[in-house]
Amino acid sequence: MLAIVAMLYTQAAAAAPDNFPTEKLTIEIWWHEYGPFTSYVKELIEAYKKVRPNVTVIPTITSSADINQKLTVALATGTGPDIMDNDASFYSLYYTKGVLEPLNLDVFAARSYPEFIARYTPGGLEAATFEGKVYALPYQGNSMSLFINNRLFAAAGLDPVANAPKTWDDVIALGPKLKQVAGNRTVHKSFDFPYHSNRWEVQDFQPLVEQFGGKLLSDDGKTAAINSPAAVKALQLWVAVTKAGGDPRTTMNTPSNPNQDFVDARTAMYITGPWATPQIQASPAVGNDFTVVSLPQVNPAQPHTLVYGWMWGVNKAKPAAEKVAAWDFVRFMLAKPDEWLGKVGFVQPVLGVAQSDVARKFPFFDVHMKDVSTGSWYLRSEFTNEITQAIGRAIERVVYDGADPKASLDQAQAEVEKVLKR
Amino acid sequence: MTEGCFVTSAARAESPSPIARRWPHVGLATKQAAFGYAILAPTLLILGIFRFLPMLEAFVISFTKYDLIHPAQFIGLGNFIDLVQDPLFRNSARVSIIYVVFSVLPVWPLSLGLAVLFNRSLMVKNVLRSAVFMPVVMPAVVMAVVWTFMYQQDGMLNTVLGWFGIDPIPWLRSSSTALPAVILIGIWRATPYYMVIFLAGLQAIPAEYYEAAEIDGAGAWSGFWNITLPLLRPTTLLVMVMTVIVAMKVFAVPLIMTGGGPSDSTRVLPLFIYQTAFEFFDMGRAAAMSMFLFAAVMLFSVAQIRIFTRGEQ
Repeated sequence: MLAIVAMLYTQAAAAAPDNFPTEKLTIEIWWHEYGPFTSYVKELIEAYKKVRPNVTVIPTITSSADINQKLTVALATGTGPDIMDNDASFYSLYYTKGVLEPLNLDVFAARSYPEFIARYTPGGLEAATFEGKVYALPYQGNSMSLFINNRLFAAAGLDPVANAPKTWDDVIALGPKLKQVAGNRTVHKSFDFPYHSNRWEVQDFQPLVEQFGGKLLSDDGKTAAINSPAAVKALQLWVAVTKAGGDPRTTMNTPSNPNQDFVDARTAMYITGPWATPQIQASPAVGNDFTVVSLPQVNPAQPHTLVYGWMWGVNKAKPAAEKVAAWDFVRFMLAKPDEWLGKVGFVQPVLGVAQSDVARKFPFFDVHMKDVSTGSWYLRSEFTNEITQAIGRAIERVVYDGADPKASLDQAQAEVEKVLKR
Repeated sequence: MTEGCFVTSAARAESPSPIARRWPHVGLATKQAAFGYAILAPTLLILGIFRFLPMLEAFVISFTKYDLIHPAQFIGLGNFIDLVQDPLFRNSARVSIIYVVFSVLPVWPLSLGLAVLFNRSLMVKNVLRSAVFMPVVMPAVVMAVVWTFMYQQDGMLNTVLGWFGIDPIPWLRSSSTALPAVILIGIWRATPYYMVIFLAGLQAIPAEYYEAAEIDGAGAWSGFWNITLPLLRPTTLLVMVMTVIVAMKVFAVPLIMTGGGPSDSTRVLPLFIYQTAFEFFDMGRAAAMSMFLFAAVMLFSVAQIRIFTRGEQ
């Protein structure tokens, strides 16, 4: 046990490279705004000053909706930061454009990339590895699991553990019992898919497609199967779940507050990540009165879930000394995965996290890790934005306009094929 | 007279003084024009650097394939041909046209009506005018966020509708109501601004015209139709051209309130241009779309001006 916990600190215990720059350096770090995350990174910046007094870290914080644009424009004009933060699905694009610096093995006291990759859970660095080299490090590789509002379950005479849905058919069956309407006004829904952003729509849609045996995009990101029979079945199921769950048009979720409906008890069940836990615990409407269960399945014997995360990358265009310092600060930031979990709710896909005391105390951590173990990373492509928008539009055409699922997905497939040919 | 002591007029004409040879005679009009250009020079320089140069660069980029990071690659008319065939571009153009027509047409009579109202003697006129003008001074982002809340199921609009027994409308979450919801905000924001422009035009009309018309037995409507409207023609032309240009460029409200959805129902052309440039990183295509938008705005503005000035002639 001690050995496992010690592994958690492998990165922190790694000796600083002998040739760490001694001159005064300034490095910039950009990240997306999320309350607990921002507070913790600022704490780390202060702590790093004591470790490396010659390095000044300058932060810039942007909304998650804007950081991709801001980063890409900055990288193109040579004004980007030393350390960038972005959704894991964008690193394919950045690797293709040649703006990423490979991980500095000396800084992490690793002899080779395979040795370094072995420090992570199987598949943990899949989204960060290109042609055998690691180009980014995830500070979160979260599952997407089903959160249940205990009070709403109890009010409907249900037990959040015994009556928790295991399959999508269970979710549909719970709809009439949990949904509450007053006339034509929705008081609260039984279940809510996200509609505030195309990326979140794909987050829930991708595992559904995989549960039906399909795949939206090939592993190399060059072939799409948006209108496969599995995808059509997934979208038909989506419609059935939505009809049972409640009016999707009443959502209060936004890109900045993607969990708002659940936090406000406007929905009894919602799919989100462990990072939502601090926000939910702080909400008066839910507090600690929630349960987390594994993502519902089409076939529980063959579970498919999703892994989703954000990663730190280092800018290739910066001077050598700054790049060393940048990787060193990333190493420093990621040295205590249990703090990331306890303070922010982010799960690093690194070995040993699950055995830490913080993990044991983190609500339903075993469920989150179980869903990570059966998860595929969110689809990754040079054209992630176009693909997610095409799929999101296809879903909205069906849900909002009553379009035929096959026809809508055919349209999305045509749009994506055109993009992939560019 | 010897030529050595005197310079005859003939000699002067043949051989002007050294000073006159260096400095040609400059008329007053030319001097005034030069002074005007000198005053304008700093502004023209700033406009040139920050407006016209980027426009020229966008024009050049529209003929390339360019992702910001790699060097631009010339592809001729490829972007333009592709756009004409692209259903997403055609949809955005259609959404923009609908937005322009339905947000601009009501603004003209509403702003003129408000201007006529505020041109009269009213109690607390200044307070009312300030209140009506509030939408103009509110930042677009703040306005969009506030209206997003007002459009919610339990927001102000649905609450008021509920008083009349009308069921809540999913304003921003239905593809049939999202665009009208965004258009309503456009009208709400634009009307007071153009009211001020019409008001200025109304106040420039001499009161004697109305007095003379009244003496001749003309009523209020006749005065409006035969005096106010014709004399407001230049102001009306300005308002018409400006409302269309501004409506064609709408961006912040659909970006914040709907992101272009649901189902692309509010993806106006400027928003699609932004997404193509900064979410898809296809700068050449985005620039080509900008050229289409620019051409549409220019054509419309020129057509409006021609129609109005022909009418005056």
